[in-house]
Amino acid sequence: MTRTGKEETSPSLPAGPGGDRFAGLIEEHQRRVYALALRLTGNAAAADDITQETFIAVWKHLESFRGDSSLKTWLLRIAANKVRSYWRWKKLRSWAGLGREEAEEDAPALEDLIPDRPGSRPEAAALAADMERRVQAAISLLPPRQREVAVLRAQELSIAEIAVTLGMAEGTVKANWFEARKKLTGLLGEYL
Amino acid sequence: MKDEEIVKKLAPLLAVRRPEEFWRRQKKNIIGAAPGHSTVSGTWLLVPAAAAAALVIFLAREPRGPAPEARAVSPAFLEHLDLLSDMDVLEAVPEKEL
Repeated sequence: MTRTGKEETSPSLPAGPGGDRFAGLIEEHQRRVYALALRLTGNAAAADDITQETFIAVWKHLESFRGDSSLKTWLLRIAANKVRSYWRWKKLRSWAGLGREEAEEDAPALEDLIPDRPGSRPEAAALAADMERRVQAAISLLPPRQREVAVLRAQELSIAEIAVTLGMAEGTVKANWFEARKKLTGLLGEYL
Repeated sequence: MKDEEIVKKLAPLLAVRRPEEFWRRQKKNIIGAAPGHSTVSGTWLLVPAAAAAALVIFLAREPRGPAPEARAVSPAFLEHLDLLSDMDVLEAVPEKEL
């Protein structure tokens, strides 16, 4: 099917500045998808790959999107599934003895942390890097399900939306959020 | 602390801050990788594939024919040469032919 056909079946897609709806969709959701992937994997390169794969999947399957859930929930569900695949792949590699030390790979590139304000670069970068490490460490300490729920809750999704995104019962989401919130309050108390 | 308050404080903490250039680059990469977006950068991948295919075809093609074999020299021929060198050729020729 041609691209035009996809656009016709997805009237809810936002239009980008250049009239390119796909570009508009990326612009609107890329921060959310990347943040989810980064917080759940703790790996900047993997988060970048997952973000790209998520949007490519959206591009391919847009016509099958029935609009039962919101576009945001659908996108995040695809991204969360890709993150789960990533962890399965990591486990498999580790089992096969192909795992390797990824400390450097996990850290985001310094230039990616530096805001676009040349005057305050060193201090801002140091502060951003320190907070990034602490937040990521706290999130990484949570069990996988609690981590997923906490990251989505921090994106201000409701319990019902998280349940749809993760394919869980609302009660399970609530229980996981309760535990995650308690742990995060303890770990990041100085920021909360 | 109320649930909503925690969420409000957690949201900026877990948000990812990157310069605008990062998001622009990411968007460009995604659009470039989307099927149907023909890109010059992807086309170069076809060059080594085409070269490999040509090589395989070249190596697998039917040989045109067997290479001409060196003519075999039989032991009988060699013995004949030895005989010729040992004897006087003229003596071997019958008288009628002289």
